[in-house]
Amino acid sequence: MNCLIIPCYIRTDWDLACLHRLLDSIDAQSLKLERVYVVDDASPLKYDLKDRNVEHVILEKNGGPARARNVAITKALAAGYRHLLFTDHDCILDKEWAERMTTFLDGSDFAAVGGMTYSWGKTLLDRYHDINGTLAGKWLLPDRKELWYMPSLNFGMKAFAAEEFPFDERFPTAAGEDVDLCLRLRSKYRIGFCPEAKLSHDYGYKNSITGFRRFLRLFQKYKSSSATLYEGHTVLMWDSSESIYEGNLR
Amino acid sequence: MSLIYRLKQSQPNFTHGIQDYLGEIIPFSRRIKHPLLKVPMVALKSLEWAIYRWHKTSIRRFYGIKSNELIYMITNACNDKCPKCGIWERPEPKEQHLRIQHFIKCLKRLHHNLYQVTLTGGEPLLFKRDVMLIAEEAKLLNVPMVTVTNGRMLDEAFLARYKELGHILVISIDSVSREKWNEFRGTKSFDIVMPKIMLAKEILGDQLRVQSVLSRESAEEIPKVIAWCKEHGIQHNTQLYQDFGAKNWANLVTHKQMVDDGTPCAARKNICIYPNGDVVKCFDHRRIPLAKQPLGNIGEQDIIEILCTKRSTEVSKIMKTCNFPCKAMSCNKPQVLLFK
Repeated sequence: MNCLIIPCYIRTDWDLACLHRLLDSIDAQSLKLERVYVVDDASPLKYDLKDRNVEHVILEKNGGPARARNVAITKALAAGYRHLLFTDHDCILDKEWAERMTTFLDGSDFAAVGGMTYSWGKTLLDRYHDINGTLAGKWLLPDRKELWYMPSLNFGMKAFAAEEFPFDERFPTAAGEDVDLCLRLRSKYRIGFCPEAKLSHDYGYKNSITGFRRFLRLFQKYKSSSATLYEGHTVLMWDSSESIYEGNLR
Repeated sequence: MSLIYRLKQSQPNFTHGIQDYLGEIIPFSRRIKHPLLKVPMVALKSLEWAIYRWHKTSIRRFYGIKSNELIYMITNACNDKCPKCGIWERPEPKEQHLRIQHFIKCLKRLHHNLYQVTLTGGEPLLFKRDVMLIAEEAKLLNVPMVTVTNGRMLDEAFLARYKELGHILVISIDSVSREKWNEFRGTKSFDIVMPKIMLAKEILGDQLRVQSVLSRESAEEIPKVIAWCKEHGIQHNTQLYQDFGAKNWANLVTHKQMVDDGTPCAARKNICIYPNGDVVKCFDHRRIPLAKQPLGNIGEQDIIEILCTKRSTEVSKIMKTCNFPCKAMSCNKPQVLLFK
């Protein structure tokens, strides 16, 4: 009934350790995921996942996370899964994450769902992301009853929505492709928020000093997609939104 | 139209930056409960804000999300002399008229992003050959086209090809009585145009639309136009009067009613081209100080390069909260609100 899609581009041992940590958290889920697709986007670091209970799809050519997710979406739709969940290799799932996401999709008329994302690390920079809600999705104002967008690291779609709204493969990096998808999706459907579906995201900051450069690069990357999104979705972007954090969960 | 631009006034204003900064920082700072975290968190937020504001990316891409309308005022010249419109009084000199190749290039560059290309004027069909070239290219590029005309220069050959191309023709009509028509047009064109409208209806069928301008002067006539359109099965749209420099007609509704209609202005979706190739985001751009000067000229620069300038982004941001009466114009409304 449900499956999980993880696009990954493994460059370093740290990335690989993150992936294994994520797979451990998947094994511990209270609701078993029927299929886990790990789509390797032509990673420079070679590794194998034979001892893991996943379908490891290895792409020959690097095409970006949007393309990697679409490859798995095609497989999942062909296999008849009703709910397609998405996360990233540097996330750690709360043990009830899959159950909460699936139950939410089953019990609501929302076509998609986002969960609550917390920082894994404890540095000042991680704390900033928690307060800022950098990867925690955005409420659609003024009602705060549905989401304006949800990052794809903590996201789920019903099969019909995924079939109708695949990721736009022209986004070459992990920046903007999820915002674009949500804005297109919202032209027809609504995205719900399930605060109980928690996961943690590892930004990779060893400490606040050495992580500072990584922090700057993260926002530079997001900026690279913002102008495109701004021009492309002017009409939908009229809606006001507010990033989610602990203080406005409900 | 000759435009008078003041470069100094068109530069990004310091106060825009302050407003933008405070708009981000104040709500964020309210989220920080721990007093010791206030300063470092606000500093980090300021950095994030600065990156979004000033960091230059190597390339800004256009990915083909069809949300933009390209509007080409192909000429100021017109063969009518409508008192409601002052555009025809200032025809562009021949040497300033944009070469059609430049517009075709602009259309090709943008077509992935366009849900529609619209030709307006003046009277577009004074450049009938160019209109047809654009129509053919738009068809090849799979971009729907709309031409707004007074109908005087329509002929069977044009209509037949236009029909084949599948584009929409909008004829501007403010009265269906001969006397009022001729008064509103400033020329005795009723007997010339009426048969052509019927011919257009016959050939174009549902691809024909009628649009009227509602003002004090035309208020009694517009219901009759609507009834006439209904009788002939033609979709109709009413646009509130806007001053184009003629100042001979008067608004029927107040400024307040025009801005308080509950809908935001959709002008940010527009990419507007003047007869000389100047690019603006809205033909009423002079209401915004930063937008008074055009963003560039497609006769001299690539359109995507023009749209990716910092000032273009700044103007888009300002237009996000625009609430002027010109938002009642058809070009500034979302398509779903037109021709109901």
